[in-house]
Amino acid sequence: MTGLFANLIMGVAVALAVWAAVLAAANKRITRSLLIGAAVLEVMLLAYLIGGVVQMIGTDRSFAKFEFLAYLVGLLIIPPLGIAWAWDEKSRSGVAVVAVVFLVVPIMVVRVQQVWAGVGA
Amino acid sequence: MSVPNSDDDVTTAVNERVTNRGFGRILVALYAIMAIGATTRSLFAIATKFNQAPLAYSLSAFAALVYIIATVTLARGDATSRRIATVSISIELIGVLVVGALSLIDPGAFQKASVWSWFGLEYLLLPLALPILGLWWLRHTRPSEEAVEV
Repeated sequence: MTGLFANLIMGVAVALAVWAAVLAAANKRITRSLLIGAAVLEVMLLAYLIGGVVQMIGTDRSFAKFEFLAYLVGLLIIPPLGIAWAWDEKSRSGVAVVAVVFLVVPIMVVRVQQVWAGVGA
Repeated sequence: MSVPNSDDDVTTAVNERVTNRGFGRILVALYAIMAIGATTRSLFAIATKFNQAPLAYSLSAFAALVYIIATVTLARGDATSRRIATVSISIELIGVLVVGALSLIDPGAFQKASVWSWFGLEYLLLPLALPILGLWWLRHTRPSEEAVEV
């Protein structure tokens, strides 16, 4: 759950957030290429969820498993929800919402890693 | 009654009067994120370790409820929603200020961190910023008939 793939997800999410913020600053709306980026991130998050479930089944360590799953599923759901909420906004706020949502992804990945490591919350 | 009149046909003028467009789009998204985060964390805490810090976890659950109400009412934006949002966000502001101050004065008071401890530092101070932005936004988008309220 830690390691290269998680870092890659966080890197992609931050890059997309910066991209969306730049679009917002330039008074643009959501672009097709930003959506493609979001779709790529979504596939990575799906793989992260599947990998997480597989590793969870494969370990007999005790940690907050329900919380762990909730974060992984939340990670998968939140970006599409945010984009849907931002979709028909005419002003630059739409793409700013997308930037915010992408920024939530690395925070949640860190939480996934903390729960996996058994760090109390 | 506070719905913008149909003769307010300039789009920008109408947009300035609703809570869920423009900056309101971002505000609702931020409230939704806090609602999801605080709800899940407090539910897990209450389900698994409530006895460790009943006060802190109850407070977090209360904060979560306030965030849910703010998200829904700001997203709806009708007259009733505005009133509920104004009351609940005011309570939220008082809550984060009181709990934030208490957590600094007496760090042991809550045993464990609640959402509002240290003014919400664990959540990047969003719990402190949101009610201020929320009340400002409600005021900013206030329909002229309601000018007397608050």
